[in-house]
Amino acid sequence: MSIKRSLLGVSIRVCHLMVLIFLFSGIQAYAVDPEVPDSEEAISAGQSIFNANCKTCHRLDQKLIGPALRGVTDRRELAWIKQFITNSQVLVQGGDADAVALFKEFNNTVMPAHDFLSDGDLTNLLSYIEFGDKVDPAAAAAAAGAEGGEAASSGGGIPNEYLTIILVVLVIVLVLVLVVLGLIVSVLTKYMNKNDDLDEDDKAFINQKTDYKGIFKSDGMIIIVTAIVLAFVVKTAINGLYTVGVQQGYAPSQPIAYSHELHAGQYEIPCQYCHTGVEIGKSANIPSANICMNCHMHIQNVEGKDGISPEIAKIYDAVDNNKPIEWVRVHNLPDLAYFNHSQHVVVGGVECQTCHGPVEEMEVVSQYSALTMGWCIDCHRNTEIDTQGNEYYDKLVQLHSESSNDALKVKDIGGLECAKCHY
Amino acid sequence: MKIISSIYSIAVIGVSLGLASCSAEGDYPGTEYAPQMYHSVPYEGLSQITNEEEGQWLSTREDGKGEFFNSNTNNPNRMNMREPVANTVPRNKEGILPYRLKVADLEGAASTQNPIPLNDEVLADGKRLFVQYCTPCHGSGGEGDGKAGMVIGGVANLKGGAYLNLSEGHIFHVITHGKGRMGAHGSQITADRRWEIVHYVKQEIQKQ
Repeated sequence: MSIKRSLLGVSIRVCHLMVLIFLFSGIQAYAVDPEVPDSEEAISAGQSIFNANCKTCHRLDQKLIGPALRGVTDRRELAWIKQFITNSQVLVQGGDADAVALFKEFNNTVMPAHDFLSDGDLTNLLSYIEFGDKVDPAAAAAAAGAEGGEAASSGGGIPNEYLTIILVVLVIVLVLVLVVLGLIVSVLTKYMNKNDDLDEDDKAFINQKTDYKGIFKSDGMIIIVTAIVLAFVVKTAINGLYTVGVQQGYAPSQPIAYSHELHAGQYEIPCQYCHTGVEIGKSANIPSANICMNCHMHIQNVEGKDGISPEIAKIYDAVDNNKPIEWVRVHNLPDLAYFNHSQHVVVGGVECQTCHGPVEEMEVVSQYSALTMGWCIDCHRNTEIDTQGNEYYDKLVQLHSESSNDALKVKDIGGLECAKCHY
Repeated sequence: MKIISSIYSIAVIGVSLGLASCSAEGDYPGTEYAPQMYHSVPYEGLSQITNEEEGQWLSTREDGKGEFFNSNTNNPNRMNMREPVANTVPRNKEGILPYRLKVADLEGAASTQNPIPLNDEVLADGKRLFVQYCTPCHGSGGEGDGKAGMVIGGVANLKGGAYLNLSEGHIFHVITHGKGRMGAHGSQITADRRWEIVHYVKQEIQKQ
């Protein structure tokens, strides 16, 4: 009997191994509990229950927050499974060995109770777990291929290389035209010189030589060159002076190589998730490390790499030692000007990108707008006020329309007053 | 010939001026005009100048440090903020007191009532806030399919049966302190805004 049992144990272990080996090849290497139905209705009913309640932590063939589920009716008793799904903590607290082992294996993560599922629901769920969404290797490969093709064909418009090629071809054609024209001129000159019945004036015209030295030393040439050089110098100087005090393009390196392209672009995290002050205060705020930790307590590296990324380790270091991360401020408005984010974002309804540019495409954030006074005023002159459904503006609009045909703009309600920003 | 050579010397100066430009690039914030009007004299919220020598050349300070040195050396980690004075209680203009239930007190939380009256404006606000703070993980429909949530894994499907019958107080408590794999969001979202999100989750997300 004991030999038999140990043999059985071995065969079960082998069976588990087979499950692991053939997980993705879709070959069924375990025995499904015969009580689990494999009808289409049961599977599709189970699928909707699975998607609503289980999908976030479980996959059929892959370990996620919880274990991979396919083959569970082979590993455990049916009654045990149903009890565990209904309320796993009852089993764990009751000291059931399997339940406690599972609980420990998955870092004491509590699986929520599902006591609202009926016995029929649970059976359907199990039939989806055992029979649903079988991985078909051929289909999976085809899907992967299709995805690759899609990625390759994306990024429409004319590629840069084509433009370069077109330009080069154009230049070659123009040079050829020039050469041909030169040849025609020399041929014509030779032909005309063979003609004897030309008078002196025409001969001189045909054989004239250009006096390059004379042109170079002539007063007109000197004046033209002087004017061009002077204009260039003045233009450079004025351009240079205009950049004094304007930090457009400032892109300081940060203590952590944080990528807005990855967070705001690829993962579509809204700006306000981290910049929490933007709707309620003057500053948009730079997030503290505890906000990073909302995600990074689970995400320790990029793209599923093993170990802790050195950049993410800096967050852990800051949190462990209770030290702030000293980010470098990118947008430094001069102290002489007052700016309030909530006024512009909440009241004005201005999008972040209007002033900060496509931050979700920036690997390193740089100052996108000039942030000069002219830039502010320009927007105040052109922006119309949304007066719809706001009684506050009724009288103002009425008064404004008596003296002007234009829509009510920010400049009309004090957007150009000095003391709005300078005091 | 003299004129030409002088033209060339001016051109060289012009080009070199153009190259040594005053504009900002990379770590260099650019040349400043009237820096005394640019730099804050009081402590500035999000920027500090920690170099004591900065602006020494025009300093009129009595302590002999650079004109632009602006860093709070008296506070821990040179921070401008201090923690509130012990035993003081902040409250907002609606009179909402800080939420005091401890992390483990889910039962107490479940019986907490939503102090924000429900109306269309609150629901619209709640939706906006839900998009800002919840969609990265829970997805726009609350089904646990946000892009960041897919990486984290184990994000609750707010329409799932286990979550439908949770009380408003329970949801508020979980937003505030976090639960399971979810982090605490109490520091990011003010209490009244959290209650607005709760309204939206209960009235819109879970009734679809």
